[in-house]
Amino acid sequence: MKKTVVTLMAAGLLAGAIVAMPVYADDYDQVTFAYATMNNLPTEEGLSTVQEAVNEITREKIGVEVTLKPIGLADYTQSVTLSLQAGEKIDVLSSIYTFASDVSNGMLYDITDLIDEAAPETKELIGEDWLKTCMYEGSLYALPTYKPVASHGYFVCRQDILDELGIDVSTVKSAEDLTDIFAQVAEAHPEMTVLAPLSQGNLDEGSLWYGIDYLSDSREKAYGVLFDGDTTVKNLYESDYFMEQSKLVREWYEAGYIMKDAATTTSSVSELMTSGNYFGHFTENGLMPEDLAAILTSLEGGGNPITVIDLREPYISTSTINMVTWGIASNTKVPEAAMKFLNLTYTDPDVLNLIIFGLEGRDYVLDEDGCYGYPEGQDAATVPYTAALSNGIIGNAFIMHRSVGTSEEDNEALLEANKTATVSPALGFMFDSTDVSIQYTAVNNVASQYLPGLLCGSTDPETELPAFVDALNAAGLQDIIDAKQKQLDVWLAENK
Amino acid sequence: MQTKVKEKKSTRQKTAPLFLIALPGIVYLLINNYLPMAGLFLAFKRYNFMKGIFSSDWCGFDNFKFLFTTKDAWIMTRNTILYNLAFIILGTAMSILIAILLCELGQKLRAKLFQSVLILPNMLSWVIVSFVVFAILNADSGFINNAILKPLGIEGVSWYTFTGAWPIILIITNLWKSAGYSSIVYMAGISGIDKSLYESAALDGATKLQQIKNITLPMLKPTVITMTIMSVGRMFYSDFGLFYQVPQNSGALFPVTQTIDTYVYRGLMENNNIGMSSAAGFYQSIIGFILVLAANAIVRKLDRDNAMF
Repeated sequence: MKKTVVTLMAAGLLAGAIVAMPVYADDYDQVTFAYATMNNLPTEEGLSTVQEAVNEITREKIGVEVTLKPIGLADYTQSVTLSLQAGEKIDVLSSIYTFASDVSNGMLYDITDLIDEAAPETKELIGEDWLKTCMYEGSLYALPTYKPVASHGYFVCRQDILDELGIDVSTVKSAEDLTDIFAQVAEAHPEMTVLAPLSQGNLDEGSLWYGIDYLSDSREKAYGVLFDGDTTVKNLYESDYFMEQSKLVREWYEAGYIMKDAATTTSSVSELMTSGNYFGHFTENGLMPEDLAAILTSLEGGGNPITVIDLREPYISTSTINMVTWGIASNTKVPEAAMKFLNLTYTDPDVLNLIIFGLEGRDYVLDEDGCYGYPEGQDAATVPYTAALSNGIIGNAFIMHRSVGTSEEDNEALLEANKTATVSPALGFMFDSTDVSIQYTAVNNVASQYLPGLLCGSTDPETELPAFVDALNAAGLQDIIDAKQKQLDVWLAENK
Repeated sequence: MQTKVKEKKSTRQKTAPLFLIALPGIVYLLINNYLPMAGLFLAFKRYNFMKGIFSSDWCGFDNFKFLFTTKDAWIMTRNTILYNLAFIILGTAMSILIAILLCELGQKLRAKLFQSVLILPNMLSWVIVSFVVFAILNADSGFINNAILKPLGIEGVSWYTFTGAWPIILIITNLWKSAGYSSIVYMAGISGIDKSLYESAALDGATKLQQIKNITLPMLKPTVITMTIMSVGRMFYSDFGLFYQVPQNSGALFPVTQTIDTYVYRGLMENNNIGMSSAAGFYQSIIGFILVLAANAIVRKLDRDNAMF
């Protein structure tokens, strides 16, 4: 009796094992696509149905089967790095702000020749100029996401309060012009704080600075920059321009327009704005003002209308374009299949829209203008699959379904802006900081000590800025500037 | 011969269960403390992702340089050591005080209640503690500025940029969080003291304070020494949560809140250099090891019986 039971159980187990064994057809290459999502992670069932729908297309078109691997944005870089180190299979991955270090760490596959073979359409779409920003020592390692990059500097604020005070914003052209508006708002609404910081320790008045190429650094911490048209690397913080801007911010702070704890608050700007206690904030964005206003009204208006004032023309530099790039893992077994799939994410609307929005009808619906929305009674948090917020970091933003309030013409205008915006003379140059990493560590610490206070106005630039510059120089900033200049000169000689 | 074997066998039989009890601890030590030591290689390598830990190129002591290049090196070392000294001295005094008071309470229920209340903060994560502190110190709506200074007609202080206050704030926060928990060890020590000592002292007319001074404290000496030597070994480490979360990462406070751990974190968070971070860890362990040996040597000189080894 006992024996029979055991045999039966064994047989059952065996049968189960056979059924559960994944059936791989030999003639399809397997590609794992790891992408960052800013939405909730999809449900297991939601993910597998979308994956199957993608596979139906890819099997036929390129003979490839894809495994979708969505990862939360906050964990993305670390998670992919660890998976690759552990030998887990990931073939296609993106570098989010980390292109330079991913290349120097040897994570990315050299796709110089592969792109001609497997992705000629994408190569033509993106164009040589943009691809240059993903080159390192003459080889191509990644593709930049194709999206509106010609970003403007905006001041975002409450339309209802402007209306109430009868303020006309059409004459506002610069940061200085805002001071008057702030004064009126502060007077009429003493219970309100005028300016919310964009992120901890950063008011981001810097999004209004025009014509600065940060040369692989960010606006928040810039060690050696190019001012418009010039090719001499300079210390931003020693410039008269920075002093002027810091004084303006300081003036606002002393007048009480800026949140007192701006240098240390950990609340996000949308939390602050939604609370209704803040008038506005600065930001940089690639969207048209009207589109951004429509999106922000729902995101941070808290029931109030939001308007966007355009205060700075776009300026394109290397880091604007290679902020998010897509590449192939250097240890992949199927480079060609991976490249072919990557090609589809730039050129095939069906594949791309499946990855971004999921299944039409279940995860999203299209209205008569062709804009996407969620099915009746559902939202981004309840549908089985959506990665709609990742629309700017995957593939080609111009062939995705549009969001409500935008039109086909806007898309064309954005595409046009990408081509006509002023570009930095160093577009395509990438700084390799390996030799000055000790100095970088030191100046990073100095910057996190002094910058929040200066950028949020809580310290006096007259005394603190010179101290900051001295501390930077003592930490070896000049070595970084020299290294940048040297590499830039070599690059300019090669590319002129 | 026969008896010797038997004896050996019986000691093995006696010790086997003890080993079994220690086994989880030993396994934990091996996996958690000894296996990762292979990572020390990284401190001397220019780490390349695809080459891996062992085949990356050697770079000598380059990774250690960043710790010593700037004048920050002095500030962070000073802060780390001084804060730890303050924690060791004040923390020990505070925990002993709490332990004595709790033991004097006598009544079980009351003592248990106070003990639980005192231990509770230790269960909180630093992130939560940092918001408790924030609720008290916040410039716009914090407790001190709004409920104390405002009614008194004093203008609010922007605490997160006021360097002078932070050594005290950090020490108080740390004591509040950890003193209750570390008092457990001393309470155990006190309950191990022979009760007849107190009885005879009471018969001789000793007051409570005299009993504490002449019986409790001397009897606790070995415990204090062991605990101190252990914390001296961690003197070059700092509690990251305390120094990073509680001051809300405020730049203006760096001169008084920067420690070796926060410096390494801030410096490397952006350029993601694994080699340099393991160099920093290695450096801390070496100094920690030397400090333990030194502290023990001093104790052995002063009082042989109480030295750990």
